[in-house]
Amino acid sequence: MVTKQDILKIAELAKLYVSPEELDGLTDELNKMIRFADEVATASAGETSFDTVNGLENVFREDVPRPCSGREEILKNAGSTEDGFFLVRRRR
Amino acid sequence: MKTHGTVARLHGMLESRKISCTELTKVYLSAVGRDNAALNAYVKTTPETALETARRVDEKIAAGQPLAPLEGIPMTLKDNISTKGIETTCCSRMLRGYVPIYDATVWKILKGQNAVLLGKTNMDEFAMGSTCENSCFGGAGNPRDPGRVAGGSSGGVAAAVVGNLAAYGLGSDTGGSIREPASFCGAVGFKPTYGAVSRYGLVAFASSFDQIGPIAQSVEDAALVYDAVARRDPMDPTSSGSRGAVSPALGKDVRGLKIGIPKEYFDEIRSDVAQALQKAAGVWRSLGAEFVELSMPSVKLGLPIYYILACAEASSNLGRYDGIRYGYCTPHYADRDEMVCRTRSEGFGREVKRRILLGTYVLSAGYYDAYYKKAQNLRGAVVRTFDRAFGECDLMMTPTVPVTAFKKGRKTEDPVENYQTDICTVPINIAGLPAVSLPCGAGKDGLPVGMQLIGPRFSETALLNAAFQYEQAAGEAPYRVDGMGVRL
Amino acid sequence: MKYELVCGLETHVELATKTKIFCSCPNVFGGEPNTHCCPVCIGLPGTLPTLNRTAVEYAVMAGLATNCKICPISKMDRKNYVYPDLPKAYQISQYDMPLCRDGWVGLSDGRKVRLTRIHIEEDAGKLIHQRGSTLIDYNRGGVPLIEIVSEPDIRSVDEAIEYVEKLQMIMRYLGVSDCRMEEGSLRCDVNVSVRPQGSETLGTRTEIKNMNSFSHMTKALQYEMDRQIDLLESGEPVVQETRRYDEKTGCTEGMRGKENAHDYRYFREPDLVTIRVTEEMLAAVRAKMPEDPQKRLARFTAGYGLPEAEARLLIEHRRIADYFEAAAKGLRSPRSVANCITGPIFARLPDEPAKDAFRVAVPPEGLNALLRLVEAGKLRGNLAKSTLEKMLDTGKPASAFLSQKDLEGIGAQELKKLCGQAVRQNPDAAKDYLGGKEKALKALVGAVMKATRGRADPQQAQKLLKELLRQ
Repeated sequence: MVTKQDILKIAELAKLYVSPEELDGLTDELNKMIRFADEVATASAGETSFDTVNGLENVFREDVPRPCSGREEILKNAGSTEDGFFLVRRRR
Repeated sequence: MKTHGTVARLHGMLESRKISCTELTKVYLSAVGRDNAALNAYVKTTPETALETARRVDEKIAAGQPLAPLEGIPMTLKDNISTKGIETTCCSRMLRGYVPIYDATVWKILKGQNAVLLGKTNMDEFAMGSTCENSCFGGAGNPRDPGRVAGGSSGGVAAAVVGNLAAYGLGSDTGGSIREPASFCGAVGFKPTYGAVSRYGLVAFASSFDQIGPIAQSVEDAALVYDAVARRDPMDPTSSGSRGAVSPALGKDVRGLKIGIPKEYFDEIRSDVAQALQKAAGVWRSLGAEFVELSMPSVKLGLPIYYILACAEASSNLGRYDGIRYGYCTPHYADRDEMVCRTRSEGFGREVKRRILLGTYVLSAGYYDAYYKKAQNLRGAVVRTFDRAFGECDLMMTPTVPVTAFKKGRKTEDPVENYQTDICTVPINIAGLPAVSLPCGAGKDGLPVGMQLIGPRFSETALLNAAFQYEQAAGEAPYRVDGMGVRL
Repeated sequence: MKYELVCGLETHVELATKTKIFCSCPNVFGGEPNTHCCPVCIGLPGTLPTLNRTAVEYAVMAGLATNCKICPISKMDRKNYVYPDLPKAYQISQYDMPLCRDGWVGLSDGRKVRLTRIHIEEDAGKLIHQRGSTLIDYNRGGVPLIEIVSEPDIRSVDEAIEYVEKLQMIMRYLGVSDCRMEEGSLRCDVNVSVRPQGSETLGTRTEIKNMNSFSHMTKALQYEMDRQIDLLESGEPVVQETRRYDEKTGCTEGMRGKENAHDYRYFREPDLVTIRVTEEMLAAVRAKMPEDPQKRLARFTAGYGLPEAEARLLIEHRRIADYFEAAAKGLRSPRSVANCITGPIFARLPDEPAKDAFRVAVPPEGLNALLRLVEAGKLRGNLAKSTLEKMLDTGKPASAFLSQKDLEGIGAQELKKLCGQAVRQNPDAAKDYLGGKEKALKALVGAVMKATRGRADPQQAQKLLKELLRQ
């Protein structure tokens, strides 16, 4: 069981803003999902472990430079930029 | 051997100059213009790109050059596959207006083969959903009955293909998102082995589950598309490519094929769906295949295992959306923290937020061991269960979905209830196996039932060959709605 | 009551690979903002990391050079947190299965500072805080780092400095990093606690960040040690916290805010596969490694017969040691090479960075050739010295400054003649010598050397002059 306070804490970690109107419904829904997930928590697992799905190892990239994207492309989708930097205004 | 492949047929028409590529493209574009409103399959059309490619193909034809199998064929991409210079939204408010500066590897390959991109298709936001209703553009409708859901999350691709608004499309599958809409709309939906197709450029939902695959009107079409895009990609370290071309191997006899029936999969399905699969079994027997009963109780935990792990990965993958480098940014805030939080809350839909919260929860201190770590261990058990089961059979058969396509808006507020549609598809992603959904008859409501065939890892050739043989014997391909879209 | 310092360091070292750790963007310093970026290192949706082989090799090298156990299996993990310099909102690092474990670095007094682990991770971009806004440059985002964590084995401020200097020397020697604190390619966070001398239990520790030079580190450590001792002596507890060194005040101050409590929600990075360090890989890395500096020191003293102090000066920077060995090839007296290096060459290298870069106008073969002439008796030592100065100044080879005549010796007859000439031309010096001033002979020898442009043998000239003057 998670409380509304717990939801707010998780939301803070996840950087999500939960409005007072949403909080009740969201807490309810999350509790249903967590109860669902509890089936895993209560199942017996044994010592089997899991590594990766296809068992690949040692996939490396050689240390050879490739051309960069160019600043215009890099900044293309940004909402605000200044002198070639990404810009975050302290408040708006 | 009869060919039911739409792609092959169109290819033949182009090469024999029955129709020019430009004309063919215009026919599809105008069908989209006419019929997309009813289906809402496309969220964006790209006529200029399409016609330019068509022109190039026509030049090749005029010069007497041979065409590759997919060259000049009108197709679509799910809107979570990055297309350079073409808006890629994942059907989320968060990425409205986002224009990638690079191509997904699969698109780079198909572009290089002059695939004619008609546009980007509808999906559940960030691939999270099974009905396509979680889209910021409104849901896609099922061509069999537009008042019903197309399925998700690749609903738009399935609707476009079955509605004859594209010859084929590429979707993505994390927990069933290619197979389920294919089942609902009545098309072939194929999810390859994890790692067979590059994920570079696929906007990530759950990194160790996501795979790109084709939705098409026949197994042969799906095989052609798979062969074109399955290869090891240096930009995706988890990719291993395919074990060999599938298309040339289609048509091999399946006498003696051992098909495993995991009985637990049939526990929760609707009786008419079960009946359709019984009929399908008859077709298999006529092909000389045998059935083996299996017991795989661990698949019951498949759903919670999947949701814990997939949401955990998603919560991390979606952390990057903060409005700074791309995407939506909230218009008013008092400090940077508020900017990020409001941007994310306003940009993401409800289901995405829920899954991020669950994912954050199961990774957080104090809960990691009980949920995430436990689910990882259980994942290993599921992998081993399947490996052992394939010791007793060559392929497995299950229903793709326990039901047929339901009416739009039926989704409840109980998220867990909505997840139940994924019960048959999710274990396959947990184990990273290849699986294909084939139409096999109809439910009592006349809507398509999907049969899911599952193979061991990298058994694409055997799997699609078996699917092909069934399709030939059942004689129902090409899978499409007549009277809708392109008539050729 | 006497207290002792208990100190451990977390050191981040930027690796000098050609490309970033997870993409092929060049790993270079400077440049206009956001010009060394690509979809991967700015975390565009759909992008995936690819692990730089050389970064792994350099990390393994660093581990081998610090006596670590190289873990045969290791993996990458995601460290999730939100900050604008981190484009993906997670840093790809290593959590519970790092590449290297359980090493040590030896100090000059024979004590060892144990290393807990070394792991690889990516660096973040750079933020510039202005009034009302923040600017972000991702050029340095994705640069490969190794994090070297020590056990709290350090017991004095001097030891801490020595430890970091040792790490610098090792990393520079390997060529895996240039380790400059001022440039940010070497960053230290220090964990500090104090306890009564003789006690076995650890006190509460604080972490100090933001020290950009050895002098900062010295001051910060000293201040923090004193601050903690003062607290304990007044009966107050030390608060576990992160503190920032303020260079203006020379003090450490507590960092307010939530920096102290983070839930990073570590989990295995699903986009990268397992790293299995095989015997072949280890052998390949070992083959690329230069000789251990301690072994080299032993070779220079025993093998080349150099005094230890001089040998230390030469091995301190790998390029200098390499230069010495190349220039000393085949010479009877390697010491002369050492003298040329520590003398005129070092005189032209004003600081440590210059010594490390060791850009010398004369290639080692050129110095070798010059010294061979001296050993063959064809060139007098002082002419060689002045020629070397000219070579260092201009970059021209010896042949540009030495004529055939210079390389011939002075015949005994000619020398006698020149000695006589010197006596005649310097009657006062001759008189002074005859009057008992031994030193005046020097002036006469000097005159002969000048007349022969240094080609004469000063000992011989001195002998002849004495004979002449006795007459």
